Amino acid sequence: MLLEDMEPIAKRFYDGVAEGKLLGRRCTECGAIEFPPHLGCNACGYHQTEWVELSGHGTLESFVVPGIQNDKPYLKAVAPYGYGKVRLDEGAEYSFVVFCGKKKVVKGLQERLYKGHESIGVHFRPIKRVVPQKEGSDVMVEWWQPCFELDEVAE
Amino acid sequence: MVKLGKQARSVSIVGVGCTPFKNFEDHPQTKGMSEGDAFGYAALEAIADAGLEPRDIQYFYHGAANPFMIGDSLTPNMQVADWFGVRGIGSVHHSEACCTGYVALQEAVQAVACGTYDVVLSGAVDLAASLPVVDAPGCFRRDFPLSEMLPSIPKVYDRAYGRPFDSAFGISFDNWINKYRWDYDLTAEQIDDALNGVSKSLRRDAVLNPLAFSTKDFDQLAAENNLPDADAYLKGFGNPKVTQYLRVTGFEIKCDGAAAIVVMPTDMAIARGLDHKVIDVLGTGAAAYEGATPDNEYNGTRDGVEQVYELTGVSPDELDLLFVNDFFLAGDIVAAEEVGYIPRGEAWQYAIDGRMGFDGDRPINTHGGRCNFGHAHGASGVADIVEAVRQMRGEAGATQMPKVPQTTFLRGFGGGQNIRCQILRTHD
Repeated sequence: MLLEDMEPIAKRFYDGVAEGKLLGRRCTECGAIEFPPHLGCNACGYHQTEWVELSGHGTLESFVVPGIQNDKPYLKAVAPYGYGKVRLDEGAEYSFVVFCGKKKVVKGLQERLYKGHESIGVHFRPIKRVVPQKEGSDVMVEWWQPCFELDEVAE
Repeated sequence: MVKLGKQARSVSIVGVGCTPFKNFEDHPQTKGMSEGDAFGYAALEAIADAGLEPRDIQYFYHGAANPFMIGDSLTPNMQVADWFGVRGIGSVHHSEACCTGYVALQEAVQAVACGTYDVVLSGAVDLAASLPVVDAPGCFRRDFPLSEMLPSIPKVYDRAYGRPFDSAFGISFDNWINKYRWDYDLTAEQIDDALNGVSKSLRRDAVLNPLAFSTKDFDQLAAENNLPDADAYLKGFGNPKVTQYLRVTGFEIKCDGAAAIVVMPTDMAIARGLDHKVIDVLGTGAAAYEGATPDNEYNGTRDGVEQVYELTGVSPDELDLLFVNDFFLAGDIVAAEEVGYIPRGEAWQYAIDGRMGFDGDRPINTHGGRCNFGHAHGASGVADIVEAVRQMRGEAGATQMPKVPQTTFLRGFGGGQNIRCQILRTHD
């Protein structure tokens, strides 16, 4: 990305999340998907990438169950969840909050993933966040947080 | 000229200093200690240990993990220089959170290796057990409750993605040890026993070290709580699991502390005829992966290990001692295997068998590590180096390894997430 093509990448990404779209960038040299989107390509080190809309689907590669130290009430209020590495169908990997539908699914997921070597599909599941512009302010900032959810929850 | 590895000239550690790692507000001798006091005491001890005076220092590095919040300061290097008699010399502040102390060594070595300076001090300070009273002098501190600390932790993660996605913090503690568990088909109980084994060995080391935060071992704590033994304490109601695998004893003990080292060209160190051994810095492997990047601790350690072995020509079977930033304790097990210090798939059993203590055959963190010696965030990496140097000189007191180590590996980690892998060797 060069200065003449300058645009706010993070803003466009979060605008996309708010519309239910998961955007990444494709390297114009090696074709790798840069996710989350940045200016250059971290797969090959080339300077140029371009926007691409991703499928929003992936596979769970790892999963950690939260304890009291790393549990988040606002996430628990949405649904039982854990933290996992997701490999997007387009190839990129990143860590996400992964909603699981039921508590017993959270508890059994590692056994399925690591021992049963089950391929566990996940899909994009953004959640709305509303935060004060500054502490004590009535002015609120609304944005959407990209999370994932097990495919089986929606089935 | 002595020349080790790829550096333009070889660099050695000639002086070390470290304050007690305590809650300064709890002790009359340290209550009211400011950042300038603490950095100054550590720096002056290191300078004296090198047989120098402050006027001999040509440049210094100042490290702190979070100077704005914990030190009420934006330019801390400027604010400590006068404390140890180096007013006017060049200096710089750097901040890589919990990896600060290892970057401190790397930067100082590079400044000397390239020939710009001959005598450089590198230190770090964090008064992490308390907070400053803003608008009052530095000797006034107040309590630092977890409720004020926890919101600051995500600030090590990328503001565009890593932090808003809110997965980096949650996944960090257990990700690698969970993979390890399943890779080797271990039960959660076996991992628990292994982590408690590490705790017992390292707590014993810390209790014997007068600088350490912890003063009671787990047998003593068990007796005070009417429990039969250390295992009952570690698995008991008072030490619950707070993540999937880590108990309270598997997390850092936040404390106050400062540490410093002095480095100079190896040739100069030898020529000076020091009254202690010269410790050479063979090299540093460096990596950095943003905190939400999957498997960042593993990937960074793998990269740093590979680099430093290639840079130095050292092989894992030459290592006598290992330091691991273990602010979450599982790092001691998984990093020990990645470094090649303990065979793959066996570190969990080594931990249970108590082989990681100072008198074991695979000692790790002989001062007790972050969960027992204490964690003064940015300063802790330098404290690791101080302890490594003292072990290598045979000056480690009650926890001196029976066989004085010749080669030490340090796996620095932290700050969402920087990695430094460094090898020290006693000059022959």
